[in-house]
Amino acid sequence: MDIDDLLAEVAVDSTPEESRDLQELTRAWVAERTAPEILNWPEELMERVLERVRRQIELVEDQTGNMDPKTNFKLIVIQTELERFKFLVRSFLRARLNKIDQHPLHIRAQHTASLDSTQPLLSPSELQYLTSHQALLSQHYSASFLSQFPASLQRLDDTTGGISMVDKPDEDRAVFRQMPRIE
Amino acid sequence: MYGETANKLVQNAKRTLALPHLPPYQSELIRSVVREVRDLDKDVASLLAPYSGSFNPASSPETACALLVNHLCMRRNKRCLLAYHKVRSDKLEEYCWNGVDVLEQQAQKANGSNAGAGGAAGAESSLSPEEEEYVRQYSDLLAAYKGQWTDIDLTGSLEPPKDLFIDVRVLKDAGEIQTEYGSITLTKNSQFYVRHGDVERLIQQGYLQRLS
Repeated sequence: MDIDDLLAEVAVDSTPEESRDLQELTRAWVAERTAPEILNWPEELMERVLERVRRQIELVEDQTGNMDPKTNFKLIVIQTELERFKFLVRSFLRARLNKIDQHPLHIRAQHTASLDSTQPLLSPSELQYLTSHQALLSQHYSASFLSQFPASLQRLDDTTGGISMVDKPDEDRAVFRQMPRIE
Repeated sequence: MYGETANKLVQNAKRTLALPHLPPYQSELIRSVVREVRDLDKDVASLLAPYSGSFNPASSPETACALLVNHLCMRRNKRCLLAYHKVRSDKLEEYCWNGVDVLEQQAQKANGSNAGAGGAAGAESSLSPEEEEYVRQYSDLLAAYKGQWTDIDLTGSLEPPKDLFIDVRVLKDAGEIQTEYGSITLTKNSQFYVRHGDVERLIQQGYLQRLS
């Protein structure tokens, strides 16, 4: 971070929405990849970003075939930018899915608790993925061995005996945090 | 007794983590662990039977101890079974994400060894029937989730993109592909300078090799 970034942050209105979104997306991506727990789904940001990606893809499709060297060069720049955006979004989504797969029951409980607040934890499609994946898994366990167990031992979220079966991410893990330096 | 077989399962799972392929499903071990749990459960029931529901641990500590050991063993066995299946299903999911068709591979393996051994005692699939079903359903689930992000291509590369165009060498004939810059015929050993996005899948499938 240098002084330009700081100034840009103070004068939010002077930076175009596009660059601000890129900055936000990059931050969300970095935060999601370093945080041990899953973070809130940035719905509005993602909608704006996806809409822009869609528009750029259309633009690229429209303009290909145009052999004018100038447009051709512009297109390459656009496509490079597009690939980078797609990478950011893809990596962001995959990082979230990874966490969902690791701690499904814990995250589902957290999501249900977050429904009352303004910002839910998961996007609708993530919740759907979580629910169906969990259903598949427990069906798989049950078909493989669990159905032959005594009834009292068939649960997957048992907490008796002092040990909870629901795994939690290590929320006390050390994380790195970048602070804008203010002098 | 008392968790020995389950330990073998856990060791097997631990080995699986480091292997590139999936070792055969240990259905025999699984069955004996399940049998052990059922025996233990019967033991618990017969231990408790004389007390008819009014068991006081303080009055007969030796029975209480036996019960505790049995309970802990059952729980431990359950945990080991869950861990074993989880490791395997994680691996299967990873195959789905990487676009590897496990079911087809297994079928090929079975066919191949059938032919080799003159049709006698072909190698069985490394997957249990339940796991095959799981793979099928998980790929459906994955396809459904991916379908909501068609612009992003979720299974794409997780390496940050550096260049829009890359050099590739063709390892296997892949026929003709259509790109925005016209069509290219991919014949073995030829080399091309193409857009990364166009050939990403072909690289994953092993038709092309990226030259750095």
